[in-house]
Amino acid sequence: MKNLKLIAACLFLYGVAQAQDKGNLLIKNGTVLTVTKGTLPETDVLVKDGKITQIAKNITAPQGVKTIDAKGLFVMPGIIDAHSHIALDAINEMTSPVTAEVAEADVVNPFQINIYRALGGGVTTIHSLHGSANAIGGQCVVLKLRYGTFDMNAMKMEGVPRTIKFALGENPTRVHGGGSNIVPRTRMGVEFVIRKSFSDAKKYMEEWDAYNKNKLVKGFRGASPVYNLRLETLAEILKGNIIIHCHSYRADEIFMLLKVCKDFGIKKITFQHANEGYKVAPELAAYGAMASVFSDWWAYKFEVYYSTAYNAAILTKNGVVTSINSDDAEMMRHLYHEAGKTQKYGGLSDEEALALITINPAKQLGVESRIGSLEVGKDADIAIFKNHPLSIYGVPQYTIVDGIVRFDRANDPADMRLMVDPKQNLEEATLSEKGVDRCMEGTEFLFTNDKN
Amino acid sequence: MTQRFLIGQIRWLPLVLAFISVTGTFAQDEKQIAPVGRIYALTNVTVVPSPGKKIEKATVVIKDGLIQAVGTAVSIPTDAIIMKADSMYVYAGFIDGLSRTGVIKPKDEPNPQRPKDPGNPPADKAGITPQNDVRNSLNPTDKSVEELRNIGFTLAQVVPYGHFLPGTSAIVLLGGKSADEMVLVDQSGLYSELSGAQNVYPNTVMAVMAKWRELYRNASLTKSYQALYASNRSALTRPLNDRVEEAFYPVIDRKIPVVFKAEKILETQRVLTLKNDLGFSLTIGDLKEGYPMIDKVKTSGAKIFLSLDLPDEVKKNEKKSKNKNDSLKTAKTEKPKSAAELEKQGLEKRKNDAIVKYTGQAADFHKAGIVFGFSAMSAKTKDIQSNLRRMIAAGLPEEVALAALTTNPAKMLGLEDRLGTVENGKMANLVVSDKPYFNEKAKVRYVFVDGNLYKLDIKEPKKSNGSVVAKGNWSYTTETPNGTNNGKLTINDDNGTLSGTISNSTSGKGTEMKDVALDGNTLSFSFEYSMGGNTMKIDVSVKIDGDAFEGVMTPGKFGSFPMKGTRDPK
Repeated sequence: MKNLKLIAACLFLYGVAQAQDKGNLLIKNGTVLTVTKGTLPETDVLVKDGKITQIAKNITAPQGVKTIDAKGLFVMPGIIDAHSHIALDAINEMTSPVTAEVAEADVVNPFQINIYRALGGGVTTIHSLHGSANAIGGQCVVLKLRYGTFDMNAMKMEGVPRTIKFALGENPTRVHGGGSNIVPRTRMGVEFVIRKSFSDAKKYMEEWDAYNKNKLVKGFRGASPVYNLRLETLAEILKGNIIIHCHSYRADEIFMLLKVCKDFGIKKITFQHANEGYKVAPELAAYGAMASVFSDWWAYKFEVYYSTAYNAAILTKNGVVTSINSDDAEMMRHLYHEAGKTQKYGGLSDEEALALITINPAKQLGVESRIGSLEVGKDADIAIFKNHPLSIYGVPQYTIVDGIVRFDRANDPADMRLMVDPKQNLEEATLSEKGVDRCMEGTEFLFTNDKN
Repeated sequence: MTQRFLIGQIRWLPLVLAFISVTGTFAQDEKQIAPVGRIYALTNVTVVPSPGKKIEKATVVIKDGLIQAVGTAVSIPTDAIIMKADSMYVYAGFIDGLSRTGVIKPKDEPNPQRPKDPGNPPADKAGITPQNDVRNSLNPTDKSVEELRNIGFTLAQVVPYGHFLPGTSAIVLLGGKSADEMVLVDQSGLYSELSGAQNVYPNTVMAVMAKWRELYRNASLTKSYQALYASNRSALTRPLNDRVEEAFYPVIDRKIPVVFKAEKILETQRVLTLKNDLGFSLTIGDLKEGYPMIDKVKTSGAKIFLSLDLPDEVKKNEKKSKNKNDSLKTAKTEKPKSAAELEKQGLEKRKNDAIVKYTGQAADFHKAGIVFGFSAMSAKTKDIQSNLRRMIAAGLPEEVALAALTTNPAKMLGLEDRLGTVENGKMANLVVSDKPYFNEKAKVRYVFVDGNLYKLDIKEPKKSNGSVVAKGNWSYTTETPNGTNNGKLTINDDNGTLSGTISNSTSGKGTEMKDVALDGNTLSFSFEYSMGGNTMKIDVSVKIDGDAFEGVMTPGKFGSFPMKGTRDPK
């Protein structure tokens, strides 16, 4: 009975949280790890309407504002995962090597329990990407983990730059070359598909520009070009309005895409995984390209053998804006440990290591002015840890999104599902969702013997 | 993930069909009276002309397919067939806002080949056939027409089978001899589902939504160019006439709505997203899980048909154990519950809460001031009456339930001048029941569709006098498109509490029956069939007559299959 009451109380709490959306809060006497402005001992953080309004000692709580006593605790910016596939109902539109027109924003699922579990790991913002089946995949979505809302649109971070998933190497060649016997079957083919797509988009853009210009002329009579959402989206990449996030491993293919981007005047690109990024770190830095990598995960297929746990550190020391991501629902719950590994492998400072999971991923998503560090004026997305987050003893206590406590370790009921299927057998209640790599979800059937 | 689950189900179907089987046909419970003159007078009947109103001891005269007179002082034409309807109730015929009643299901393609270029499939493989008219696939003799009519429905908005953009809907009468006789309004809406094609583009929901936008925007562009071309054709390239694009024109002109099936909350939100992006008029049908988004649904201005399907009711004994006194008692007499038991109890409570929410959705929509109708699309026809009673028990006022079956859908479909009430001059679509319709014991006796009478023979269920014995060993047969199958039932009777197992002869494995009940001579139970990690609930309901039974087996949503059996000799 006690359990049930707790659930009821908690649901009520979330009902309230959903209604107001932005919170007020005072966090007292914590060790504040700002990431960008140093570490402040015994300091308070004041939050008003979901924004950080003051960081100082001895702030008095305004009337009615809830206070969290963070004495002895560590207060850091909410963790940002630049590569995730949770909170989505579809990952791969794997039927075509180019699917720029599809958008993960259309298939956000705010009910996945993995969202709450990510909050339990101090994560407040995620970049949920299209899978890596296609050379040019779909548009990705930046989500704030406002778990408790029933509105899929309320999960989306407002006003963020658009991003899109590209993929090089084995995945797109296996799916389309191997699976359907169409281009691309090789790495050359992948480059061709991308170059051709950009060329088509350029032509498309020119046709529409000409039409729109002609339309202004008085008495103009003529047909418009055919509207094509795929080329429309690709044209937005050429115009610099969409950031590329490219699944990649090998140095040669990373260098190839840099050349393609240069040829088409594309500046904004982050290489995802980039296991061999360390080999081309100076080239990445010179181009202004960024890298989002695993701490120490490799050898799960042939193209991922030549890897090192020093990757993040080497990239960082070469001046590449680098983040550490999870690509996995389970790993995202301890990204602070993943970041900590760069201190063992590469000797990064606390601030450099924390930047890998806060301000750097924020830069890669183009939202560094709003999240990723604890500064006045930024969103109050905050994780509070017992013990230093980079320590093996670090444990998240509270996770706060827009000033609202979305995870509280002291009040963490067993069943946090928002929606329950009334037709589901009790035994099948999905309290556990699989936490495997979902990058290739939907394409598995291609790799079995049955290829009808 | 949904897609994968679906594929799983489809693969599974033949096996399910192999398990169950069919012989013989149903006894027809109904006779159509030859419409000589088509003049009828229902006398001494209680008329419910519109929800909340009542005329007692009245007469209703029907002639030439129309209601000629309603009231207490009505003169009966001398050539009328007089139907004494003492103590009966007459309502406007019910309207189903969305289903596939009477629509022929296309045959599944055997062994569909994986296309050469899955990214560029032909339009029909992609599910893009908005130019299809459901009128071309209507069958007035389809069993579903009769079944839905037998519980009082006289009209339905029906849609073609398929996914994404299968074609246009039509509003059809649930009676008539030909497709043309059935159709009251053709192309009432452009039907769509947010589900993708198998193995080809668009496969995922996100691609379906992207393609939806592209098709709509291109249709708008072509349409305006065609208008320009029509105004002066000189020196202009001829616009191509594309049937797919043309199907969007009435939608773009707001002459017809897009009719979406959207059961779940996220589907509903996605449909609303498309509406916001493109601006079409929207009808949402088969809505089951709209309750967490009532405000959004309301402000969208979409027309809503709530599903007549409901999850199984909360079991009574589970409810009882939640009684405070009981739990105190158990606390004293039983040992404390284990963590696993507590977890199960918690899960049960969440599930029951969800069932309560689903059941209360209609009442919630009414309280929020949303005018809605109902849709039969995914409901089992035999459950519709009891589901309506459950919604009423959950707080939906009876007159609102009736309005949702009559006046509301008539208005939503633009037919209020012809249908929805029992009034002079309206089409003679009527339902007559022996008790008020929402009464548990009410039975539909007559249905008029377009002035044609359908009379239902009511077989009084044999009173249970102890002569009906379910206990024992039975052999059953079923027959499916995959062939005949048979198996055994073993039913035990422990002082009135029934239990048992069902097996099929192929596997010989026994499966435990659930919810075994004998009501009069009707034996019902369900069992679960597991295959490839999925579990399907199969309902069985048979009537026992001595040492034989006859009835149906209903596997999930795959329709019903007749089932016959005999008692094994001792």
